[in-house]
This record gives sequence, C-alpha cells and structure tokens, in this order.
Amino acid sequence: MSTALSVVVDATLITLILALAAFGLAIIYGLVGVINMGHGAMLTLGAYLTWAATTAGLPFVISIFLAAAGVAVIGLLLEHIVIRSFYDRPFDTLLLTWGFFLVSTEVIKIVFGTDLRNVANPVPGAFDLGGIQIPAYRTMIAGCSLLLIAGSALVFFYTALGIKIRALIQNREMASLLGLDVSRMYKLVFVTGSFMAGLAGALISPMLSVDPYIGNIFLVRSFFVVIIGGIGHLLGGTLIGSFLIGGSETLFALFSGQVFAQTAVFAVAIVVLRFRPHGVLRSG
Amino acid sequence: MKQRTLKHRSLLGTTPGDLLFSEPGAALIVFAILALLPVFFSGYMIYILPQYMLFGVLAMSLGLLWGFAGLVSFGQAGFFALGAYTMGLSMKSGGGIIDPAYLGLLLSLVVGGILAAAVGYFLFSAGVRGTYFVLVTLALSIMLEQIAVSQSQITGGWNGMFIDRMSLNLGPFGKISLFDDAPMYYVILPAVAIIYVILYTITVTRFGKILNGIRENEDRLISLGFNASLYKTGVFAISGAVACFAGALYGTHANFVAPSLAGVLFSTEVVVWVAIGGRGSLLGVLLGGILVASFSNYLSAITPEYWQLVLGLLFVAVLLYFRGGVAGAVAQLVNARRAK
Repeated sequence: MSTALSVVVDATLITLILALAAFGLAIIYGLVGVINMGHGAMLTLGAYLTWAATTAGLPFVISIFLAAAGVAVIGLLLEHIVIRSFYDRPFDTLLLTWGFFLVSTEVIKIVFGTDLRNVANPVPGAFDLGGIQIPAYRTMIAGCSLLLIAGSALVFFYTALGIKIRALIQNREMASLLGLDVSRMYKLVFVTGSFMAGLAGALISPMLSVDPYIGNIFLVRSFFVVIIGGIGHLLGGTLIGSFLIGGSETLFALFSGQVFAQTAVFAVAIVVLRFRPHGVLRSG
Repeated sequence: MKQRTLKHRSLLGTTPGDLLFSEPGAALIVFAILALLPVFFSGYMIYILPQYMLFGVLAMSLGLLWGFAGLVSFGQAGFFALGAYTMGLSMKSGGGIIDPAYLGLLLSLVVGGILAAAVGYFLFSAGVRGTYFVLVTLALSIMLEQIAVSQSQITGGWNGMFIDRMSLNLGPFGKISLFDDAPMYYVILPAVAIIYVILYTITVTRFGKILNGIRENEDRLISLGFNASLYKTGVFAISGAVACFAGALYGTHANFVAPSLAGVLFSTEVVVWVAIGGRGSLLGVLLGGILVASFSNYLSAITPEYWQLVLGLLFVAVLLYFRGGVAGAVAQLVNARRAK
C-alpha cells in the first residue's frame, strides 16, 4: 500500500516540478511561437544567479527573485537585439536561440567556472505521510508551481492584459488593427517567459548540484511537456503534459532503471508527437 | 516559412578555368593536398587528421540534409556513436565468414540507414514540421547516449568500449596491418574522398534537385505530384548511413568509444561546423568540420572557454549575416572577381 502511495506522491511532485521547469517555455512557445532552445540556459542562469546571491549573503526568497529578474533582463536583451526581427521565421529563431544557449553557457563557464556549486536548501527536512518521507522543500516547490500556474491563469483569463494576449494569439492582424501594440506585447510575453524560466531555475537550484549544463536535463523534457500538452494550452496543457512525461517516468522507473525510464519516456513522447502533433488536448 | 536561397556553386563548367573555380575543382586540390601531407609530416598530426576528416564526413552528412533539403538534425552524433559501437561489437564478435572490420563497416551503413529511414518515415509521413524534427533528433541523440550508458553489459556503460584497430584484409593476398598512422591515413582519406564524390553526385542528380525544391517550397513540390515525405526520408537515410559509417571508421581509428560521443554537445557541435563551413557547399562543410575540430583541439589546450565562446558568436553571426557560411562568402568573392 505504501508503495502505491509513494508512487502517487512521487508522480505528483515530479509533475509539478516539471511543470514549473516547462512553464517559461510554454509561455514563449505557446504565445509567441518561438522555439526557445535557450530555455535550458535560462534555467541554468537562474540557478547560478541564485547561487551568487545567496553566497553574497542575501536571503533565499530575495535571491530567487533577483535571479529571475536577472534572467528576464537577459531575455529582454535577447529579444530586443535578435529575436524581434525573426518572429515570422520559427526555424531561424530555433537556431538563434540555440546560438544564445552556446554563448551564454560559455559566458557562465567563464564567469562562474565549471565546478559544481551548491545552493543551501532553505527548507531542509521532510515530513511523514502515512509512513513515507516527503522532502519538505520539494513539496514547497510543487506548491509554488501550482501557485504560479494558477496566478497566470488569473492574469490570463481575468485581466485586461490577459484579454490582449489572448486576442494576440487568436488573430494577430486583427488585434493590431484594433490598436494593440503587437511588438510590445511580444516583448512582454518573451520577457515574462524568461522570468519564469529564471524563477524555475532558481527554485530548482537547491535540489541539484549546479553545473553549467544543469538546464539541459530539463530542455528536451520541457519541450515534450509543451508539445504533448498542446501548444497554447498554457495552463491545463502544461499540467497534463508534465503529468504524462513525469508520471510515466515514475512508472517506468518502477520496472527499470532511472536512465532507461527516461529513454522510454522520450520514445513514448515521440510517438505521441507523431500521432497528436497538436497535443493530447486537441483532436486531430 | 521563408528561407533565402543559398548562393549556388557553379556546376561543372566547359573550360579548364571553369573547372578550377568550381567546387569539384577545389575539392580536387583539397584532396591532393591531404594526400601529400604524410609525405612532409609525421607524428601526431598524421595520427589525428583522419579523425578530423571523419568529423568532416559527419559534417557532410548534416550538410546534405541542411543545405540541400532544408532539414536540420541535432542527432548526427547519435548516428556517429552508433557506428562506432557497431564497429566495436562487430570486431569483438570476430565477424564469422567475413572479416569483422568489413562486417562492422557494412553493418554501420545498414544500421544507420535503417534507423534514420524508420525515424524519418515515421515523422515525415505524418507531416511533422522541421522544427519538431530538430527536437526529435535531439531526443534521439540523448536516447542513444542513455542506452549506451544503461546497457553497460554490452556497451561498457560510462567506461566506454575499446575497439581494435582494423586491418585491411585482402583475402587471398593476405592482410595489411593498419596499426601505423600512415597506412590508416591512406585508408581513411580515400574513403572520405569517395563519400564526398557520392554525396556531391547526389546533389547534382534529379534527386538532389528535388530536395532543393522541397527546401525552397515543399507545398509546391507536393502539388506537382512529388512525394515529399519519401524524398525527405531518403535523404535522412543517406545522411544517417554516412554518419554511422564515419563513426565506425572513427571508432576503429580512435580505438575507443564512450557514450558522450552520442551526446547533445557533440551533436550540436556538428551543427556549428556546418553553419560556419557553409551549408550550401559540401566541400565547405567538410573543411568546416576538419578545420574547426582541429582548432578546437588546438585551442582548447590554451583557452577552452573563450574559443567555445567565439564559436558560439560566430554561429550566431553566420545565422544573422552570412547564411552561406565561409564557403558561401568565398563563392561570392570568386564569382564577383570572375564576373569582371
């Protein structure tokens, strides 16, 4: 019985953490159609900035927001200098954001070095749930993930800004004819996505050793989350995609090694992508 | 999807002068220089150069895909490593009725071609877009790396696998040992040249022209009655087979393969070589692979981070300003001078 419970708990935590990691990507890809291959680098950068801020003596909560803001600024620069001229050429943005990944990874290596860095866990310990130990910090991150997604849902569906963004996705020309400053909205969305990626990297940093390629662990999985959940299904899609990717990885890991479980999940994801290129939520 | 046309190299001309300034002419000079190098040099350079030439072949496998069919694969290193593992396993098996090295080379062509054809057909027949193709090939590369890690009883896991140096089996005429650097060099160089000639021929045949058409306007080709997904599958199969074959030769030359050879980092390094070399020209791509890999090896001893940073910036600059890469720039220069 306790195995079943621990699987459920594991799957839930992994789902929510993966949703957190993928959320910035879902925003940028889902709303402005940029396949941000630099997403992994943004996660890494968020983690390193958190390390730098906490090492400088700042409290953890302030550090993560500083880190996220730092990544948002870099996202703004990237958008303003390069990406904004390429919104109608998705393939070029894919390669250009990959170039951003290459450059920023090297800059990270030059600035921070290649040694493993550790961010102290701000909420150590675990609590007991019916005989199984659940790490407190992971639970908190999962809660943050839910809060972020719910908060974004509020903005998306209940504010004037949300209406503008939805108008933009539905019909860009019409929205612009009705007086919406399209390029400013694009910039806002891109920067918000970068902020979310930075925040995710910051929140994840205490769970792993921080190295220059830490974001890569999440890059491909995040993409599969977004594609399988359905591009543009920002909230439900991200959660369902994370559940399918993270949950099935937990299940596979029951029967095989962790490494093989990842391989199996990728294979399943490719098959889903082939038959449901618009995600599991939309038919056809 | 808008995509600017790449500057086309002039095809075989009519006068000797034209030949000299065409890509085959330049290729002839390059291969002649490569053939003469062991006469003047020896030691580490002659040992390592065949590996870089095989990286160049790996780059050509992507150059064919990207420059001529407009498809970018982030998984070429996966095929390369697959070839090396195939070679290693074949050498271990002893080969049976045919020479184990030949079996390995043959199998690598078959395995790489079939895997690429299967993945390609699976995706292209459903009309999966070019951007998703990039992601799937990236995932493929990670999966191959993970399989190499997790199936350690076959592959040696993280520790990698040692591969014997092949020898040239001439049947009734005996065996030539390729243990020394120079003989191995003169086995790999012709192989590289032959692959270049085959790939170049592909690009100028009807098949290559149709690929160009698909790159420029896939919908139009489909409405003209071409089965675009079949052509894309075909070119990916060729690309996979070539990458895998190059990997098999690499494995037996380097005597070693480890999972990281399939990894994302190496895969995308190939993309950088091709972009900088010039994806419109197979020769440019070949040289891009050879030269960038040599520089990387040389400079990573001195200033690894800054060199990689320069490569990253060059990659972005090529994407933004010089879509034809170095080869495209050279072709433009030559054409401009000859037009005068």
